[in-house]
Amino acid sequence: MDKILICDSITKRFGGLIAVSRVSVEVSRGELLGLIGPNGSGKTTLINLISGVLEPDEGRVLFEGRDITKLKPHARVALGISRIFQGMRVYPYLPVYYNIELSARSVFKDARLARSKTIWALTTTKLLAESAELPVNLTPYKLKMVELARALVTNPKLVLLDEPFAGLSPEEVGEVIKIVRKLNESGIAFIIVEHKLRYLMKLVERVVVLNEGRKIFDGSPSEAMNSEEVSRVYLGVM
Amino acid sequence: MVEVSKLVFAKPSKVSKVRKILPFLTVVSIYLTLPAIGLRGFWIDVLTRVNIFLLITLSLDLYSGTTFYLNLGVPFTVGVSAYTLALLNRYLGVPVEYSILPSAITSTIFSFTIFIPSLRVRGAYFSILSLLLPIILAGLVTSQPFSLYLGGEGGISYFPLFFSYARALPAGERVFFLQASHFYLSAAVAIVAYIICYKIAYSDFGFMMRSIGQDELLAEATGINTFRVKLIGFIASSFLSALAGALYAAMRPPITADIFVPANTLVPPLTAVILGGMGTIVGPAIANYLTLIIYEILWGVLGSWRIILYMCLLIVLVLLRPQGLIYYLYLKMKQVFSVRIFKHLGGV
Ligand SMILES: Nc1ncnc2c1ncn2[C@@H]1O[C@H](COP(=O)(O)OP(=O)(O)OP(=O)(O)O)[C@@H](O)[C@H]1O
Ligand SMILES: [Mg+2]
Repeated sequence: MDKILICDSITKRFGGLIAVSRVSVEVSRGELLGLIGPNGSGKTTLINLISGVLEPDEGRVLFEGRDITKLKPHARVALGISRIFQGMRVYPYLPVYYNIELSARSVFKDARLARSKTIWALTTTKLLAESAELPVNLTPYKLKMVELARALVTNPKLVLLDEPFAGLSPEEVGEVIKIVRKLNESGIAFIIVEHKLRYLMKLVERVVVLNEGRKIFDGSPSEAMNSEEVSRVYLGVM
Repeated sequence: MVEVSKLVFAKPSKVSKVRKILPFLTVVSIYLTLPAIGLRGFWIDVLTRVNIFLLITLSLDLYSGTTFYLNLGVPFTVGVSAYTLALLNRYLGVPVEYSILPSAITSTIFSFTIFIPSLRVRGAYFSILSLLLPIILAGLVTSQPFSLYLGGEGGISYFPLFFSYARALPAGERVFFLQASHFYLSAAVAIVAYIICYKIAYSDFGFMMRSIGQDELLAEATGINTFRVKLIGFIASSFLSALAGALYAAMRPPITADIFVPANTLVPPLTAVILGGMGTIVGPAIANYLTLIIYEILWGVLGSWRIILYMCLLIVLVLLRPQGLIYYLYLKMKQVFSVRIFKHLGGV
């Protein structure tokens, strides 16, 4: 089975608001999927449902054929789903090294393996020199790298990135894209939520478009550009 | 930045390692010779009590100081442990020498059974529960009909720890034998507990507890089994408090409901933790000795006003404690971090 993730008609309500409404999404092994939609359309909520931060009111989430709907977030990380939060989210009073190593240590019980994985992640994201630094002394780009390193250190098969380009300069976005491409070539699948469409559309193979919690499009980036419905919700953006 | 990477890659020498623990060794050795060089009477008893309080301070700092889950249930844990020891002696005739560990374990089990739901939700509900429980127990102990079985206002009396050995000595040496043996036992337990807590607080497990304190959702969502970490941390912390309760009860009969009063068993250690710097272990341990010894000195000067002064100090500390304090302490400990990180990087 080459579908690594299947969201089977999942719904999430917040009181009267339906943030995600009967959305079905499938991700293949090693795929690069874009997830777009206007503000408040339910992208982050969907990411939260996949990573286990939220539990759906209806529907199921399957990972590698296994029903993970009731699984806690940390257990999903161990299975191979990593995520990055929207905005910069790091432990403010822990040095870069521990920001990354703790996740590795939780997933791999073997301390040596966790350590060598951490060093690999620090190297991949060019953070070795900042290992002992506190997050407060890092630039937004370096902070993104810390988050990326933490997502990678647990050996993920699927990485969820929630607006990874936000707050970065064009050159820095280019760097992030380079790293994502390289990791993708090694077989890691990505779901990337982004508003910066001109970068995203060149990067991903497929896009899912959400609007008011519903999936309104699922196809190639070029089809999305030409879709009338997508243009309507994105009026003035694309 | 340059300075830091230098720190990261500066290999710690054996000499610097020894130099690091030298102050600790010096202070401990001087402390342990005090009874031998003439410390007697009131002050040796004070230090014994401060040794025992160090266990409570460490218990609070290890769990609450790192996870920022304020465990107000400490008086419950300390009190249940103390009363278990006293009741085992009264009803089953168990000598206190043998019931310290069983009492501590019993109280740990009670505490974690009652407070386990508080590990799932952060909020006022369980803080209130944990504050009210010891007050209810104190009420039970002193009200009919329970007071008949639990000692009432006068408490439960029994022979203190090592009394059977003291009895064999000439009358003039008995008191000092008891004081000195209690001092050395409490000091030994305190030192061992300090070393273990320090190791835990700066281990990967300790850093996981810190990550929970700093961003629990992030920790859970990036692979840390937050419930398990909190559970283990809470059990370790409760055991330390429970051990303090059992040791205290064994050395200081009669045991009374006073032990359940937060002003007695929660406020002093909490002050030490906040004053010393939450989660650092070193700071609260030092603050434990300073504040409690000053507290005793104040007794002569201020009488019962000292408790009011203490509470006011706590309020001031809580109000003044800025985010910056943790950062300041981090800078102080940067060396420790860097050396450890270097070891990790060099190890592969
Ligand atoms: N925890 C919550 N409680 C209540 N409402 C929520 C919660 N989280 C999200 N919502 C609401 O659900 C809707 C979808 O939010 P979501 O964060 O998923 O949007 P988004 O597509 O990520 O938007 P953005 O592009 O601004 O990040 C919004 O109306 C939001 O206000
Ligand atoms: Mg969002």
